[in-house]
Amino acid sequence: MRYSHYLAQTNVSYKTVSYNMLTPKPVDGDPNALKPRKINVTFKSAVDLLGPYSYVRIMDQIKAVVPLALYLILFQVLVLRQPIDAAASLAVGLAAVIVGLAVFMEGLSTGLMPFGKIIGDNLPKKASMTVVYIIIGILGVGVTFAEPAIGALQAFGASVDVKKAPYLYELLNNWTMPLVLMVGAGVGLAAILGTVRFVKGWSLKPMIYLALTPVALLSLYAWSDPNLQSILGLAWDCGAVTTGPVTVPLVLSLGIGIANAAGKGNSSLSGFGVVTLASLFPILAVLILSVFVSFTVTPEQIIAAAASAGGSTQTELSIWDQTPLVEIVLGVRAILPLVIFLMFVLFIVLRSTLPNRMVTIYGLTLSILGMCIFNVGLTYGLGAIGSQTGSALPAAFMQLPIVENSPHYPEIVGFVICVGFAFLLGFGSTLAEPALNALGLTVQELTNGAFKKSMLMYSVATGVAVGIALGVAKLIFHLDLMMLLLPLYAIGIIMTFLSTEEFVNVAWDSAGVTTGPVTVPLVLAMGLGLGNAVSAIEGFGILSLASICPIVAVLTMGLVIQMTQKTKVTQES
Amino acid sequence: MAGRNITYLSEANLITCVLQTGLAEGVLDAAKNCGAQGATISYARGTGIRERMGLLGVTIDEQKEVIRIIVSEEQADRVFEAMYLAGGLDTPGKGIMFMTKLDRVATYIPESVLKEIA
Repeated sequence: MRYSHYLAQTNVSYKTVSYNMLTPKPVDGDPNALKPRKINVTFKSAVDLLGPYSYVRIMDQIKAVVPLALYLILFQVLVLRQPIDAAASLAVGLAAVIVGLAVFMEGLSTGLMPFGKIIGDNLPKKASMTVVYIIIGILGVGVTFAEPAIGALQAFGASVDVKKAPYLYELLNNWTMPLVLMVGAGVGLAAILGTVRFVKGWSLKPMIYLALTPVALLSLYAWSDPNLQSILGLAWDCGAVTTGPVTVPLVLSLGIGIANAAGKGNSSLSGFGVVTLASLFPILAVLILSVFVSFTVTPEQIIAAAASAGGSTQTELSIWDQTPLVEIVLGVRAILPLVIFLMFVLFIVLRSTLPNRMVTIYGLTLSILGMCIFNVGLTYGLGAIGSQTGSALPAAFMQLPIVENSPHYPEIVGFVICVGFAFLLGFGSTLAEPALNALGLTVQELTNGAFKKSMLMYSVATGVAVGIALGVAKLIFHLDLMMLLLPLYAIGIIMTFLSTEEFVNVAWDSAGVTTGPVTVPLVLAMGLGLGNAVSAIEGFGILSLASICPIVAVLTMGLVIQMTQKTKVTQES
Repeated sequence: MAGRNITYLSEANLITCVLQTGLAEGVLDAAKNCGAQGATISYARGTGIRERMGLLGVTIDEQKEVIRIIVSEEQADRVFEAMYLAGGLDTPGKGIMFMTKLDRVATYIPESVLKEIA
């Protein structure tokens, strides 16, 4: 319907009121008469205000979650012919994910972000550079705890078979705290180095080489030890998990604020690079931790401890270990340390006050609340659907006891279906990621249109899709993760050497952007479910492949663009 | 150098509409459906009501979109009303709009259009 037609039919009544009647008048003896007064909002107008406000924010998350969940559900029902298990709790869980993310994101932007911005703007003026770096480092640990996806790692630890992968089991169950701390330390170190890079204007290339060398060496060491081999997937996946919706904007806003204050913030590319380092250092940190664990306990001890613990913990579930209370405790524990640390910096180090106290407190409350709701949804929604589909996936090509009439398809067709499913999942979920859209726009502006937004988005999405498909293939065919990762990283390094600084920055950062709070738990759960179903040792590694493939894809695109531009120039001259 | 020519447009009004971010598209559509020729959109930050509402202020986005449309006097009321209704300005927190008379307007006007009205 055209608006003019609509207008012809609606009845609008008019009234004119002089504005003079509405503005405050000076009153003798009352100096406050002209000051704006607080507005009393009636219930109806409060509803009118809250309605669209919540609608927009919830719609954003529905757009991110529902298509993915629907894809998994339809695939499971139609292709795998496996009914959805516990549909009611699944629906509630997915709703919790949507509401939780919406609330958390709003809390992030009204509560945590202004904090980061004030600190970033004021810190370099009031404290020495050493203090600044220390604070950024601690902040890196704090944001890692607050990252929604990090909860997913902890949540899926219990599904690991202790006999096949003792060290992996030990790390995920008894060393969770040190594990997250080490990942956080990695992010902290990355944040420090990234900021130093901002300030000094260093090139990213040598930093990538320097960071990757120890990672590769330690990986090779772990690879040569049969007991440590199973840890590699987890270690490499940790890199992808850390670069989520809390870490990236908060660390970036701090870093850019500091670079501006230090007078070196004029480079358009200075915002890049932190994400790359924040996804490389955690790998190193987890590898170091696992080597350390391997020196302190033997596999036999772990298996014995797990066997004895398995009997006792089952019986003594205290009230705090039951859902949803445990999720809520986890949610509070994730955000609160970060908030307390930020407050400490603001009040004690900067001796300043909150700019808009009520709104900031509201935002912080929302972020804690949202984290709790999201955690509940993670267990019952994303985790449940992911592991359901993952464990039913092999029914396409092999016999599964839980699925009737399996295999549904001849073996080769089944393989193709599984890998194709993974490919589409990666492609769709990446294109839907809002951060990628933002990155695409930035890149288009930076390269003056040489690297188009759609081109970047499609090459990243294809990269992730290939990565996830490779990861699924790795689980099905029991491929060795290192055999896939090392050549890919080698290609990445060679291309990095050949590419210009701009493309290197963009390409390595694009990997971190793609792994958001919806994709990570879903893919992790699917991988672990699939891993169990095909009795692979561990289901990790998909995310790490999904990180390196887009890097290679974007670098390739960059090189192609470089070449075409060069030939154009030579032709013209 | 050839003689250059300026055509002044008279009887023109300017409608300015300050809206919460995200509402501009719908309002623009309504204006164009009622005959508005074009619009300029700029981004701005608003203050005032937000701070005075206490906690409910968070529901109003600080970022604003400002639409400016030059309309002929004949179509002015129609466009103004359409924009008001499309933006839902009769509900709290959406935005504010106003119309001012313009002294003179000048831009490129195609030769053919000028011949047609002459």
